Amino acid sequence: MNFLNAAMLAGVAALAIPLLIHLFHKSRFKVVKWGAMHLLAAVVRTNQKRIKIEQWILLAIRCAIPAILALMMAKPVWQGAKQMLGEQPTSTAVLLDNSYSMEAGRAGITNFSIARDEAQRLVGELKPGSEAYVFLMGEGQGLLDHASRDLSAVTQALGKVGAGYGVARVPAALDFVAGTLDKMTGNARQVVLFTDFQKVSFPAADERVFAQSLDRLKKLKFPPTVTLWDVGVEAKENVAIESLDFPKLMVGVGQKVQIRANIRNFGDTARPDLRVTLKVDGREKPGPAGSQLSLAARSAGQVLFTHVFAKPGSHVIEIETEADLVKADNRYLASIPVREKLSVLLVDGAPGTTPDDLKSETGFAQIALSPFFAGKVEQADLIQAKVVPVNGLNAKSIAESAVVVLANVATLSDDQLKALEFFVNQGGGLLVFTGDRTDAAWWNGPFAKSLAPLRLGSMAGDPAGKPGATTAKVTAERFGNPALEIFNDPRNGSLSDAEIKAWFRFKPPERTGGPGDPAILARLDSGDPFLAEKVHGQGRVIACATTLDSDWNSLPARPSYLPLIQRLCVYLASNVYPPRNLQVGEQLVSFLPADMAEKMARLTLPDTRTVELLIVKKGERGVVEYPQTQRPGIYTLQPPGNPAPPPLHYVVNAERTESDLTRMTDVEIQALAKTHDLKIVRSAAEFKALDKAQRYGREIWKPVLLILLILLFAELILQQLFARRRRKV
Amino acid sequence: MAHVSDFLTPADLQRISSLQVLARVVVEGFTTGLHRSPHKGYSVEFKQHRQYVAGDEIRHIDWRVFARSDRYYIREYEEETNLRSTIILDRSGSMNYKGSSPGAVSKFDYATRLAACLSYMMVHQADGVGLVTFDDKIRRYIPPRSKVSHLRLIIDELEKSRPGGETELGQVFHDLVPKLHRRSLLIIISDCFGEVANFLKAMAHFRHARHEIVVFQVWDRDEIEFPFRGWTQFDCLEQDGVKHLIDPAMVRQAYLENLAKFRDELQFGCRKQRIDLVPFFTDEPYSKALAAYMTRRLGRA
Repeated sequence: MNFLNAAMLAGVAALAIPLLIHLFHKSRFKVVKWGAMHLLAAVVRTNQKRIKIEQWILLAIRCAIPAILALMMAKPVWQGAKQMLGEQPTSTAVLLDNSYSMEAGRAGITNFSIARDEAQRLVGELKPGSEAYVFLMGEGQGLLDHASRDLSAVTQALGKVGAGYGVARVPAALDFVAGTLDKMTGNARQVVLFTDFQKVSFPAADERVFAQSLDRLKKLKFPPTVTLWDVGVEAKENVAIESLDFPKLMVGVGQKVQIRANIRNFGDTARPDLRVTLKVDGREKPGPAGSQLSLAARSAGQVLFTHVFAKPGSHVIEIETEADLVKADNRYLASIPVREKLSVLLVDGAPGTTPDDLKSETGFAQIALSPFFAGKVEQADLIQAKVVPVNGLNAKSIAESAVVVLANVATLSDDQLKALEFFVNQGGGLLVFTGDRTDAAWWNGPFAKSLAPLRLGSMAGDPAGKPGATTAKVTAERFGNPALEIFNDPRNGSLSDAEIKAWFRFKPPERTGGPGDPAILARLDSGDPFLAEKVHGQGRVIACATTLDSDWNSLPARPSYLPLIQRLCVYLASNVYPPRNLQVGEQLVSFLPADMAEKMARLTLPDTRTVELLIVKKGERGVVEYPQTQRPGIYTLQPPGNPAPPPLHYVVNAERTESDLTRMTDVEIQALAKTHDLKIVRSAAEFKALDKAQRYGREIWKPVLLILLILLFAELILQQLFARRRRKV
Repeated sequence: MAHVSDFLTPADLQRISSLQVLARVVVEGFTTGLHRSPHKGYSVEFKQHRQYVAGDEIRHIDWRVFARSDRYYIREYEEETNLRSTIILDRSGSMNYKGSSPGAVSKFDYATRLAACLSYMMVHQADGVGLVTFDDKIRRYIPPRSKVSHLRLIIDELEKSRPGGETELGQVFHDLVPKLHRRSLLIIISDCFGEVANFLKAMAHFRHARHEIVVFQVWDRDEIEFPFRGWTQFDCLEQDGVKHLIDPAMVRQAYLENLAKFRDELQFGCRKQRIDLVPFFTDEPYSKALAAYMTRRLGRA
């Protein structure tokens, strides 16, 4: 027997109260000179024994009631035979919330530092032979790969852990730990979850998921006890940059880029002069207007920055507000690759006699893509177009390009189609124009099976443009696609100006709206689709109902032609690269030239550690993958080579859900504990007491309470029984 | 009709220190308005004639009958028209019990006042009255007389008497029988505590001697209701050193059962011997006692 609240045992002394009352009453008796003694004496003589027994019974019950009440309040723990096992080692899984919200706390002491220190102590004080496993919920991974019996190593490693990671997902963490616990060896198992009880960590909507995760733990062969260790000191004041709006299309050197930061004040205090700064590649941009922002309590605002990149390459922009305790959401990062050159491969299905023959299928497009080069102007084009005949399309030429344009190509060989499919799958862009050579059978056959967004129907209009023949125009509308957004502003020209003499009628898509379903980007006034897009793997395919040159339309003669072709290519190229702006936990993927394959690339992590990563050859590319992007910040990938090629920057931003530091109320916490039968502790002492109880026995206050109630009833009933005579007057 | 004594409780009457005065107040209050006043008296009344036998006193011969019938007849009268009563007063320790209620009188005080009232009334009706006081033995015997000066003697004795000692009804009454030569009305004022069987045996002895008996059993309410609460030590009034420390609530029921049994036995025994057992409570007026006596007296008349 043990007691969780041993101080209350002092209350057992209260058993003396009924005793004292009894003695007091007995000592303060009245004296009556009695005459009818012959009546009384006989009664006393015959009943003396019974009376004494009754008195003793009542006295014993009355003494027992306060004593048992005190006993119950002392929270007795029945140890039974388990006491012998008291020193047995335990298997402990510690779940440490190191999400960035744990950086909140009091001045100098963050919630996380308290949690970490307590966790260190907890692991350090485990019985020899115990094994421990620490799961970092913010990072979504274990501190060590496996449970360890080397407790000092675990505590040491714990000492190096920091907060500032992404969102702590409690159910997911419990599921993960369930797997590890199952492999642990001790019979006595426990899960200790250090948390700040932030509302977002235990969303009401996830209650069922949470219950399922706990159920999974309970169904283990040796179900662990689950204790929630409350380390929360609520700190409401927090300003977070929620998101950045920056160009989705590829950015070229010299282009003016607009970056908009969305900032929210989660606190109850207004921030009248919040300073917001823009850093480019780590250097602060000298203060443009708008870097001061006034935010009312619990409101949001925006700050707009503009920037022109002077150099190509991988750039990182960083918007930062004045620091509050929770640093991770005070800045938002964006990796913007700035390109000097964008390789576009034009596959000419109807080549002319010379490469720059305007009668060729790609002549106009080539000029539109590289106007400076075509105009022999001393200025660099962003896009570098290369024209090849159909037989020049192969895996190598494809791999060198960001976008492939098929212009009036009749058919492709299976190999070519396969290479193209792989290319698009890996994030490449494909732009397809129809024409008189287009083989509808091939298109609707192998091409439609893999890449074509829509099947081809009949041809419409008259390429010769005879008078009276049906013509069409692109419907003027508000375009939602980033490639066509430019035409929403009439100053940039209108697609409707051009006359479409002939076009293929695309068959309407079977399904729309779902992921991977075709989308119509623009329509003709005849109702037929003009541009249709389909996402294929990581890349995109856009098909146009008419020709790239002026055979079937007058587009090349219109001012809108150049921006249309350039925008389409840039839009498609913008997807060429695996995303560089990642959310916490998203896999970092980089495509490198195939000749770098089998070499090691060096990745510098946000905490300045570096990891060497093997470049794996996949198709015509070298691929680097790094999945552990739990820490928000800049990940710099240095590809191998001599001289070293420019580094690539990837940024990982945490979801901003943790920025709302609102804590669960005590009532909610109690309800959570009650619903799921969890124990909540707030200090090491509480945990020790609870641990002792859980490991060495079980609390028996319930049966004690039952005994107490029985005694109370017994006292009442016996008293009534014994004193029944008193009522029968 | 209301009497003075109906408005005077024993507690009020207690203030009247002189038993003489008390007895007068009570009795005259009681007798006022009675249909048959005791003051009218009961004259010597003729009973029967019987033939003269040798040895009869000649003065008792009815000469008028002799004149008519020429035979000697003796004129017989009621032997004694005046009632002879003896009040037998228990002055044992148990009679000294005084109730717990404020203004209560002890059973003995009640009993002496009762005896005084009775004596006063009897003497004023020209009935003879005597007094016996006893505890474990006879303490005083005053033979019955009907003179007014005799009343003084009785009342003095009543005032002098102090309760104490044990009760031994059976033995005392047996001892008393030979002293009461002539049959008379015995008024026993006692709590009758003791062995019921002995008491009844003594009563039987009295009855055998052809005495009329009325038992005025004096009770205190406490003895009937046993209303005590909290730890109480009961010290015996008759025997020193006999005491019981008890929680009265625990024994009350048993006590009441025992009491009921005692009273039932007593009642049954008395009825069997045609003895009136009249219970008195110290908080009741004496008039009840006087009424009981009167009933008896008239019944005899």
